[in-house]
Amino acid sequence: MSESKKFTYYPGCSSQGSGAHLDRSLRAIAPKLGIELEELEDWNCCGASVGHIEGGQLANTALSGRNLANAQAQGAQDIVTGCAACYLNTHGAAEKIKADVKLRERLNEALGAADLKYDEDRRVRHACEVIVNEVGLEKVRQAVTNPLDGVKVAGYVGCQTVRPFAETEAGGAYDTFDDPEFLDDFIEACGAEAVEYDIKTACCGGSVSVMKPDKTLHLIKKILEKAVEAGADMIATPCPLCQTNVEMYQDAINKKYGTDFDMPVVFYSQLMAVAFGMDGKKDAGLDQNIIKAKKLEEKAK
Amino acid sequence: MTVAPPAQADRRYDLNFARWVRDNVNGGEKMSLCMQCGMCSGSCPIGTEMDHGPRKLFMMIRAGMKDDVFNSSTIWNCTSCYNCVVRCPRGVPVTYILQDLAAKAVELGYVKKVENARFAKAFWWSAKTFGRTDERLVTTKFYWSGGLGDFFRKSLANLKIAMGMVKTRRMHLGAPHKIKDRKGLQAILAKAAEIDARESRGGE
Repeated sequence: MSESKKFTYYPGCSSQGSGAHLDRSLRAIAPKLGIELEELEDWNCCGASVGHIEGGQLANTALSGRNLANAQAQGAQDIVTGCAACYLNTHGAAEKIKADVKLRERLNEALGAADLKYDEDRRVRHACEVIVNEVGLEKVRQAVTNPLDGVKVAGYVGCQTVRPFAETEAGGAYDTFDDPEFLDDFIEACGAEAVEYDIKTACCGGSVSVMKPDKTLHLIKKILEKAVEAGADMIATPCPLCQTNVEMYQDAINKKYGTDFDMPVVFYSQLMAVAFGMDGKKDAGLDQNIIKAKKLEEKAK
Repeated sequence: MTVAPPAQADRRYDLNFARWVRDNVNGGEKMSLCMQCGMCSGSCPIGTEMDHGPRKLFMMIRAGMKDDVFNSSTIWNCTSCYNCVVRCPRGVPVTYILQDLAAKAVELGYVKKVENARFAKAFWWSAKTFGRTDERLVTTKFYWSGGLGDFFRKSLANLKIAMGMVKTRRMHLGAPHKIKDRKGLQAILAKAAEIDARESRGGE
């Protein structure tokens, strides 16, 4: 067997809340994919898509700066995260700092207040990009001992997992902005059927859905509608906010539009954990989905 | 008879506004590349919920309609999907510009009651105090910031969701998750704000 590759793992705040099952399943599948995850020391919030509003640009960048400085102290390995927002902010900040000497100077002046410094460059990667570029689909297929035959899955990628970095060199050029294929590849590698789903990168409303769902329920409705039309048993996504938004608002949508959605929304890593023959609860965290993915639970050990 | 020209619109234009955006807004230096093609507005998932699409907002910036820009719902309803950023044929970082315009609207005192600004306040409070986002407290604080009526209306509407989250262990009960070095983080953030303030006054 080949050696495992070590990463500094940044779980992000949702790992201790709404996205706990993403964190659980990612940690479970990593060793099977030859990945060692070492948690980033004393990691803090990335600022998501609202930090700059109250905190200002430099303070918001300093949130990522502190994590990057701690990662630098921790070792030379790349940073990896499963969260789309953490990836967007931390990767974006690292690339900006790399290209802007003045910004690095200002940042280090701020970091100096806690005796930290960030004077090297760390690569910040998304877990999906690592699976595509570092692990490879072949290795995913090899890890499957419990293929998900007969499970129909709509692969819903969302926005920030691929935009605006998936096609860039720094982002690993691992897929396209509009019509990414990696998620369907993951689904099929697990032995499930990736149904035809052409709104892969439609928006769930992000944080606007959290604060003003009345403005965005129609977006989530469309995501669900297309999955139902395609005959999917469940939706799979890489993004913690997409998972939560699309799952938790189904009641509100049913009430507002007179629909009857009851569509499970799982993480690709939960699919993998089940397909790798791991425990449905302890490893895949299937008991943490509010709308239970019955077809997946039936398959799980 | 000559038809009289229309009465002057009751609106003040700030002809330095576009220049100010260029110099002060993150990504603003690329705004002059905008050719008004509308790719951004056409790609926006939530353009129907904005009073002006990004294309129009950029034209309003050029026209110097400062107050209308800062009071528009456009800067608050951006979901940060980055469609416009990756599709703009001229490489204008539309999302980044809208995001920073929102921050500037808060800084310049344009918004008091906008929901997003209240949410951002609750969010930053959690990040700064604990070093992490506590989804429970951010949401509660945000609901509370809208007044008692809004608090009960929103809490009731989302009660079932919250209970589902608790039941599935996606919302914990008890003390918030915190980082160890909160003092260090707070010192960094205070210093960063100080540097920002120093430079926005023109110093280097």
